[in-house]
Amino acid sequence: MSGIVHQLGDARRGKLPGNMLGFGRALRRAGVRIDSTRIALAAEAATRVGIQSRFDLAAAMEAVMVSREQDRLVFRELFDAWFRDPELASKLLAQMLPSAEGKAEPPKRRPRVREALAALREDMQAARNEREVNFDAAMTASDRARLRHADFNALGAAEYRLVEKLARDIPLPLPAFPARRLRVAGDASARSRIHWPGVLREASRTGGEIFRLPRWSRREQPLPLLVLVDVSGSMERYVRLLLAFLHAATRRAGRRDVFAFGTHLTDLTPAFRLADTDAMLAAANTAIDDYAGGTRLGESLAELRCHHARRLIGRRTLVLVISDGLDTGDPAALDHELQWLHRHCRRLLWLNPLLRYEGYAPLARGAATLHRHADAMLAVHNLNALEHLAASLAALMQRQVTRNIHDGNARHPQA
Amino acid sequence: MPFSSIDAVTQRLQAAGYYADRRLATAVFLALTLQRPLLLEGEPGVGKTELAKALSMALQRPLLRLQCYDGMEQREALYEWNYAAQLLHLRAAEAQGIAADVESEVYQPRYLIRRALLQALETPPPGAVLLIDEVDRADEPFEAFLLEYLGEYQVSIPELGTVRALSPPVTILTSNRTRELNDAVKRRCLYHWLDYPERERELAIVRAQAPQVGAVLSEQIARFIERLRSAPFASAFQRGPGIAESVEWARALAALDTIELDPEIVVDTAGILFKQRDDVAALTRELATELLQSPEQAAS
Repeated sequence: MSGIVHQLGDARRGKLPGNMLGFGRALRRAGVRIDSTRIALAAEAATRVGIQSRFDLAAAMEAVMVSREQDRLVFRELFDAWFRDPELASKLLAQMLPSAEGKAEPPKRRPRVREALAALREDMQAARNEREVNFDAAMTASDRARLRHADFNALGAAEYRLVEKLARDIPLPLPAFPARRLRVAGDASARSRIHWPGVLREASRTGGEIFRLPRWSRREQPLPLLVLVDVSGSMERYVRLLLAFLHAATRRAGRRDVFAFGTHLTDLTPAFRLADTDAMLAAANTAIDDYAGGTRLGESLAELRCHHARRLIGRRTLVLVISDGLDTGDPAALDHELQWLHRHCRRLLWLNPLLRYEGYAPLARGAATLHRHADAMLAVHNLNALEHLAASLAALMQRQVTRNIHDGNARHPQA
Repeated sequence: MPFSSIDAVTQRLQAAGYYADRRLATAVFLALTLQRPLLLEGEPGVGKTELAKALSMALQRPLLRLQCYDGMEQREALYEWNYAAQLLHLRAAEAQGIAADVESEVYQPRYLIRRALLQALETPPPGAVLLIDEVDRADEPFEAFLLEYLGEYQVSIPELGTVRALSPPVTILTSNRTRELNDAVKRRCLYHWLDYPERERELAIVRAQAPQVGAVLSEQIARFIERLRSAPFASAFQRGPGIAESVEWARALAALDTIELDPEIVVDTAGILFKQRDDVAALTRELATELLQSPEQAAS
């Protein structure tokens, strides 16, 4: 294809590396993580594959420059726009026509590509007039109803101090379990495996005489944690501080997955990866779009089962459901999903703020179902007093899980 | 260079029984010419592991396989000393009264038990194909341990020094994405996301692996599976059937003397397509009927 040859130039004349560098930088602007060694490698790959076939070149660049599944689409769009395909350009142009309808929301990924290209536009137009970049201005409009976003304010100074203090004073003792990995333990209990490399090192010094047997012992690692937070209307008062507290308290947890659910499931795990609690709340704000709607726990759990089943690791995940159990979904479905969830985790704990009322019994259908399947229900008498929440949560985790682990330990005396 | 062009990769892999699409063939071609490890990600059953086997066949190089698991450590992947033999050596030296330099005597290459990684490095030219399977199952420290190998094709053994590859092994890493791999690992590899094959490719695979299945039936199977994996049907299931499942299904249907698919037989044999109780239950007779309709029928 002559267009590409024209764009890439002749490798021997050194136009190719320059073009590749520009493309790499555009990718980086679109959020694809790529470093300069990769760009150099891409230039080399292009010379190996040749630039006769557009498809091969794209595939080669993709193999070198992309390293995450989610970056592939961005890459392909940008590649097409960069090595301008006449067909695509006309398509983009056609898409711009119905833009009179206005208020169209471009799909999620596009703005990144667009911004990366927009930044380029200036220097490119200066260099060459006809290389104008086309915008995909009008894509299909979102047909979703207006959804309410959570209005989590950033924490006030007092709140922030409280959350930090609680997280420090009452660290959630995420129970640990013996990992598969071993470490040298010196003279550990006689039940553990012998550390032969150590034995040998000592023996070679003493002429084959063994005076002491160093041992291996198992490392411990915290249980993976999966939290499901109800963000329906009835939970509105608690959610913000609860999220803040969970974020601060489980920072040292090994693996932590957090989902919010109302009418559907929202993955908050990326938000929880942000170190700063305010940043986390802001990210959760934008992520949650069914705030203070109804509760459909069954449907949300089905979503978890179908799309995120692998977040439940090896049946050792500790699942924490934070909900008042006022479910408006189908109780039979809820029953089925909870059964599945219970089969796939180590412990299913239910945290219920309604329990602060004396004489509360889980009579609501959803609550009764949850009660039946959860391993334990936590009575939180005053959720506003986070101290209490944290302390009881800690106690509950300890009681429910460590006991189980010690039982488990007894069953594997030694290898 | 083992392959002269991308077409050659496709052909040789096909001769080894692996049907690669153009994109994958390009990635393999580059991995071989640039001597980089190739990281394959994708759903279970799209042929990640098979690719390594086919490559080893096409290149006629030995395949070394390192199956990763939780708690995998260096001594299972790289090397271990033969402690019993070393101790015997020590005792013998003691008995004969040879005291000099026992320590270095004990750490000789002949007391080394070589595991897959070291074997791959020490395979004489043209080298080996090393498959590091399901690397996401191992933990992060193990990934860090792999870096030296992936970047330089060498490893360091404290007692012996650095072992360099006689000839860089063709290295394939696979991951099911149960967790995101470290960027440092990804930087050292070429990356390819393997999708389920399109219909023609799946048909070719079924025909090649289950030749006893009739032409009409295999056509139907490929179309059925393709619709099963695509929206909106895919969302009804936790895990779509992989290529191995469709081949197995084709064989089962042939064994049952099926000539054409009907909802009855689909529901009866659902246990071959799906390995989860919920998924088997989700494939009802109604759904099967809908899936079996041709797209034109469904539209009308």
